[in-house]
Amino acid sequence: MTSLNISNVSKSFGSARVLEDISLTINDGEFISLVGPSGCGKSTLLRIIAGLESQDAGTIALGERAIDGVRPSRRNLAMVFQSYALYPHLTVAQNIGVPLTMRQLSHWERLPVVGRFLPGAAAKRRIIRAAVEEAARSLDIGHLLDRKPGQLSGGQRQRVAVGRALVRQPEAFLLDEPLSNLDAKLRVHMRTEIAELHRTLGATFIYVTHDQAEAMTMSDRIAVMMHGRLLQVAPPHEVYSDPTNIAVAEFIGSPKINTFPAEVAGDGTAIVMGAALGRVQNGYRGAATIGVRPESLRIGQPPGRLAGTLRHVENLGNEYFLHVEVDGLPSRVVARVGHDHAPFSLGAPVGLDWPAGRAHVFDQAGGQIGRVNGAVSPFVGVVNG
Amino acid sequence: MANSGTQARAIPYLFSLPALLLILALLLLPMLISLGLSLTDYTLGAPDVEFVWFENFERIFTRSTYMKMLSATFWYVIIVVPGSIALGLGAALLINSLTVGKGFYRTVFFLPVMATLVAMAMVWEFMLHPTLGIVNEGLEGLCAVPGITAIGFFETGCADGFPHWLGERETALWVLCFIGIWQAVGFNMVLYMAGLTAIPRELYNAASVDGADSAWDRFRLVTWPMLGPTNVFVLTITAIRSFQAFDTVDMLTEGGPSKSTYVIMYAIFEKGVQQNLIGVGTAITVLFMAFVFLLTFLQRYLVERRVHYA
Repeated sequence: MTSLNISNVSKSFGSARVLEDISLTINDGEFISLVGPSGCGKSTLLRIIAGLESQDAGTIALGERAIDGVRPSRRNLAMVFQSYALYPHLTVAQNIGVPLTMRQLSHWERLPVVGRFLPGAAAKRRIIRAAVEEAARSLDIGHLLDRKPGQLSGGQRQRVAVGRALVRQPEAFLLDEPLSNLDAKLRVHMRTEIAELHRTLGATFIYVTHDQAEAMTMSDRIAVMMHGRLLQVAPPHEVYSDPTNIAVAEFIGSPKINTFPAEVAGDGTAIVMGAALGRVQNGYRGAATIGVRPESLRIGQPPGRLAGTLRHVENLGNEYFLHVEVDGLPSRVVARVGHDHAPFSLGAPVGLDWPAGRAHVFDQAGGQIGRVNGAVSPFVGVVNG
Repeated sequence: MANSGTQARAIPYLFSLPALLLILALLLLPMLISLGLSLTDYTLGAPDVEFVWFENFERIFTRSTYMKMLSATFWYVIIVVPGSIALGLGAALLINSLTVGKGFYRTVFFLPVMATLVAMAMVWEFMLHPTLGIVNEGLEGLCAVPGITAIGFFETGCADGFPHWLGERETALWVLCFIGIWQAVGFNMVLYMAGLTAIPRELYNAASVDGADSAWDRFRLVTWPMLGPTNVFVLTITAIRSFQAFDTVDMLTEGGPSKSTYVIMYAIFEKGVQQNLIGVGTAITVLFMAFVFLLTFLQRYLVERRVHYA
C-alpha cells in the first residue's frame, strides 16, 4: 500500500470557493480526520479523493500514480456514506457483495437466473459469498445476511456499510460522517469499534467529521479545515495543546477555549483590560488575543489575575463548569474544576488565575482573528504575578 | 352512567355515518344495481323486465362480436401499456439528465395529456385522411426518393396507394394504439420524473464507488429497483386508463371497420346507450369492473409487497 498525496487542490462551485489550495500527504495506514464546521469543504475534499467530484486545480496521487480523472471504481478506495447508501432491494449479503459482483462478474454472469448457469459463474459466486461471510463475521453481522436494510437498526446498517467497504480490501477507507445518524450512546461505542477496526486492518482511514470529539479520540492526525483552507494538520494532543490558529483553538475542545482581548506592550508585557498579565517572549507587539483552556483556569479569592463574578454553575457529577462574568468581556469565562473544589456561592466575587505557560497568545494581523501565520504561543514567563 | 357509555361508543359511528352513506349511495349502490341489471333483459322504458340470469354473459363469451371486443381490448391494452411505460420512462430519464431545458421538454411531452382528446382526435383524423392527410401525402412525397421502393411497404404504397389507416381492418387498431401511446407517454413521464427525483444521490455515488461504471449498470443497480413503487403505480394507472379507451374510438372509427377497434368501453356505450340494451350493456360493464378489480388486487397484494422497502 502507499501514501495518498493531495497537492494544491482547489475547487469552486459557481462563485463559491469551497477548497483553496489544499495540500496534504496521508501516510500509509494512517487514521486521519478531516474536521471542521459544516460548509468548510471537508466533505468536498473527500468526494474529490473518491472521484465523485473533480477538482478545478491540483493533483491527487496514490503514491506516484496520479488518479485524477480515474473512475471512482478504479481508484481502489472504499467509501462509507453518511446515509449509509445501502441498496434497499438487496439483502445484507448482496449489499456487501456488490463491489465484488460488479468487478468480478461479467455483464452476462450478473443477469438474474440466466447468469447462474454460465460456466464459471457459480464458482465466482461461491468465492464472493465466502468473502462476504468473512467480512460479515468480522463485523458481527453474520446472522443478518439474509435481511433487507429496511429491517435493520441504524447501528446494524452502519456495519453493513462498513462491510461493503471492507470486502474489497481497498487501499484506503473514506468515511463521510459515518456516525452522525446514530444516537449519542451508539456513537461513542462505534467510535471505539472503528478505531479498533483500523488497528486490525492497518489500512489508511480518511475520516470526515464535524465532531471534534470523534476526531480527537480516533485519529492519528487531525486536519482542521475552515472556509476551504487547511488550518492545522497535527496529532490530536498537539492540535489541542498547541493550536496554530485561534479558529483551531476555538473549534477543538469543549467547553470552548476562553479568549481575552489583549495588548502586547513595547516591552513584551501582555495587558488584558488594563491588567498586566505577563510577558510574551516573542518579537510580536500590538493587539492580540489571549486564549486559556477552561481546565487551566483556577477560581480563587479576588483579585487574582482577573476579577469577576460567579454567575452559573454546571454540575457534571465528576466536575463543575463555572461561568464567571468579567466586566468588559462580551461573553462569560468558563472554568472547569474538579468535584473536590471548595463550595461556591453564586454572585460572589472571584478571582481568575492560571499557571504560567498555559495561556495562548494569538496575533491579530490585519485586525482579523484567524488569519495568523502561527500563534505566538505558549505564553511564557509570568511577571508581576 | 351506562347510558353515557353507550353514547360514547356510538359517537364514532355517528361521525362516520355521512361518509358511509355517501359511499353507499354513490359507489356501492350503483355497482350493485348494475350487477342486478346485468342479469335482466332491461331496456329503458320497457314495460316489463325479466330475469334472464346469465344469458347476457353467455352471449358475451360466445358471440363473435364480443370475442372481437375482447380481442381488440386485449391488444389495445397489451400494446399501449408497455409502449407508453417504456417511452415514458425513457423520456423521463433523458429529460432528467439534462442540465438546461428540462422545463421545456417536460411541457412539450405533457401537452397531449392536457389537451382535450376529442379535439386531438379530430386533428389526427385530418392527418390520417387517406388522400388529403399529411401522413399519406408525406409518404407519397417519399416515393420520389430513389431506391425507397426496395422497402416492401413503399413498393406497394407507391404503386397502389398507401393504407387508409383508420378505414382498414388491418391498420385501424394499431393507429389507435399509436395515438393512445402518444397521449399516455407524457403522463407516465411526469410520474417517472417524480419517482426519479426521490432517489437519493448518495446511492448513485455508492454505485459508482462500488464499480457500476456504465449507465446501464447504474440503472440496473439503483434506478430500476428504486422506481419500484412508481412502476406499480404507473402500471396500474396506465392499464386502467387503457381499458377505458373511448374518445379516440368514438371519434375516429366507431368500433369499425368490421369491429376491429370495438374496445370494451365503446361496446358499453354502443349497447347500453345507443341501442338501449341496458342488460347487455351492464353485463359488459360488470366484466370491465372485474378487470379493474383484478388489476387493483394485483397491485395491492402481489406487486406492492415486493417493491416497498421500508
